[in-house]
Amino acid sequence: MSVPITSYLLVALILFCIGLYGALTKRNAVVILLSIELMLNAVNINLVAFAKYGMFPNISGQIFSLFTITVAAAEAAVGLAILISLYRNRNTVRVDEMNLMKR
Amino acid sequence: MNGASKWGNLAQYDWTVMSPEFTILGVATLLSLLDLVMNKNSDRRILAWIGFIGILIAGYFVVQNTGQNVVSILNDMYRLDGFANAFKLIFLVGVAFVFLISISYVDEKQNVKHSGEYYYLMLMALLGAMLMASSADLITLFVGLELLSIASYIMVGTRKNHIQSNESAFKYVVSGGIASAVTLYGMSFIYGLTGSTNLYIMAERLSNVFQNGFDFLVYLSFFLMLVGLAFKISAVPYHMWAPDVYQGAPTPITAFLSVVSKAAGFAIILRIFLIIFGNLVNLDMTNGQQSSVLVDTLGLYIAIVAGASMIIGNTLAMRQVNIKRMMAYSGIAQAGYLLVPFATLTVLMFEQTIFYLVAYLLANMGAFAIIMLVNRDRQTEDVKSFAGLYHRAPWMAIAMTFFLLSLAGLPISAGFFGKFYIFMSTIVHSSYWLAGIMLATSVVSYFYYFSVIRQMYMRPGQTEAPLKVPFTIAAVVLVALAGTIAVGIMPDPVLQYIHHNFPLQQMFQASGQ
Repeated sequence: MSVPITSYLLVALILFCIGLYGALTKRNAVVILLSIELMLNAVNINLVAFAKYGMFPNISGQIFSLFTITVAAAEAAVGLAILISLYRNRNTVRVDEMNLMKR
Repeated sequence: MNGASKWGNLAQYDWTVMSPEFTILGVATLLSLLDLVMNKNSDRRILAWIGFIGILIAGYFVVQNTGQNVVSILNDMYRLDGFANAFKLIFLVGVAFVFLISISYVDEKQNVKHSGEYYYLMLMALLGAMLMASSADLITLFVGLELLSIASYIMVGTRKNHIQSNESAFKYVVSGGIASAVTLYGMSFIYGLTGSTNLYIMAERLSNVFQNGFDFLVYLSFFLMLVGLAFKISAVPYHMWAPDVYQGAPTPITAFLSVVSKAAGFAIILRIFLIIFGNLVNLDMTNGQQSSVLVDTLGLYIAIVAGASMIIGNTLAMRQVNIKRMMAYSGIAQAGYLLVPFATLTVLMFEQTIFYLVAYLLANMGAFAIIMLVNRDRQTEDVKSFAGLYHRAPWMAIAMTFFLLSLAGLPISAGFFGKFYIFMSTIVHSSYWLAGIMLATSVVSYFYYFSVIRQMYMRPGQTEAPLKVPFTIAAVVLVALAGTIAVGIMPDPVLQYIHHNFPLQQMFQASGQ
């Protein structure tokens, strides 16, 4: 018994929406970075599902997801480093307190 | 070459076409090693000069490559065509300007603590931008995009004891992360429909898929990619990061983001959308007529994005008192103008885009060099810091006037013809509403550009002391001013040069043609 591709896509869609919701509404900077990771992982599920059950199944989807994982790790590292230097200066990780710029 | 090398196929490729990229990579590696072995207290400005020479060498290689036939290596993962060369020249000239501005900006004691990193991160960002311009494969395009983005995140936060710099870097990482996730989500659908990451194979298979009832997914992936990539060019659905990031970033980095990063965004947008969606057709069932999807359906949405960017950018710029925030909103508006040729898709689309980018590059780099100088002298980023500039440094004030006129699109400047050609394309395409928005918002933009000019000539400054102009800033301003006026007086040779040396058709040709 094989699972149809729509189920995989649905899981990815739900994950992506949770991630987007979290990134846009959460107040804690670490949670925002985590939510972005959720969105990127939704992409990985999509790519791997398409690599097996897509219109033209082939390996490049899996290769693409390897690149996505690597780049996401680099991005998270840079994001956390910037957050740490921000925390050292401001003593806060709450994004609603990051409002020094003029509107 | 006899092909029996242990490297197999890899030895067959013509690697010399990648020499600009190899030069930049080599120089960046060299700088990072030199930075390690150098004495901790020694002057790092020598690194900047080495990097500058590297950029000049890479520029020489790009000029050598110009006008050649198409070369594609690694299964189109790297392509050398007119499109790529034009954008690479823009990136290299832009980064060369940024290096010259940085040399008089970066100061170990005052602002940037580890100035060695500053220079080689900039070169890595440049490498990412160059890959974005000359690749026809989603994976390499994405890696180039992220190389540029991640290097820019660090560069924005490079003043690590400066609170605003930290805050803007964090805002940039978060909005950049969301944008790349959205882009990737769009890319994943288009991969699923076509089963390839090569743009040409995707284009071939997509027209079949599009006819067979998957048009919703095609549109979905188009919109996801458009929204995600709009982040890089700071166009309207994704423009809110620009003012905060531009304000908090070091001024040379702001110049980099507003010119090089934006041009790279246009390179990836044009490459992906023109190739993948270029030959999709809509079949009208009633009379059997075909219409191009990109021109007739998607072009409208791009035009809406362009119009909204012009309106929002220009109106919000009027309220700004911080000059860097004002330039950020001005940059949003300029992204709107730059999207117009892509929305109208006339025959001269590519020439118009490149011409406008050249005008924008010269004017913006010159303006940011002067902004950096004045802001640092007055210790404030307020527009009022320009008060009395004409009495302190008359030549700088005159040059700044020309740059602002060029950005506003008034005659005797490159920007005038850039805007004029783009305006003509809307008339040819008979999208009069877009032409109307362009005209109206250009008039609105005069208010804020002229407010700076008014400060320079008509307001008394707090001091009359002559402004000391470092040599590198003077060089940037001189070159940018000469370019702006020369292109403004003789636009035709430039347009002809672009037309003959960077043919857009090469983008659709196979290797060796």
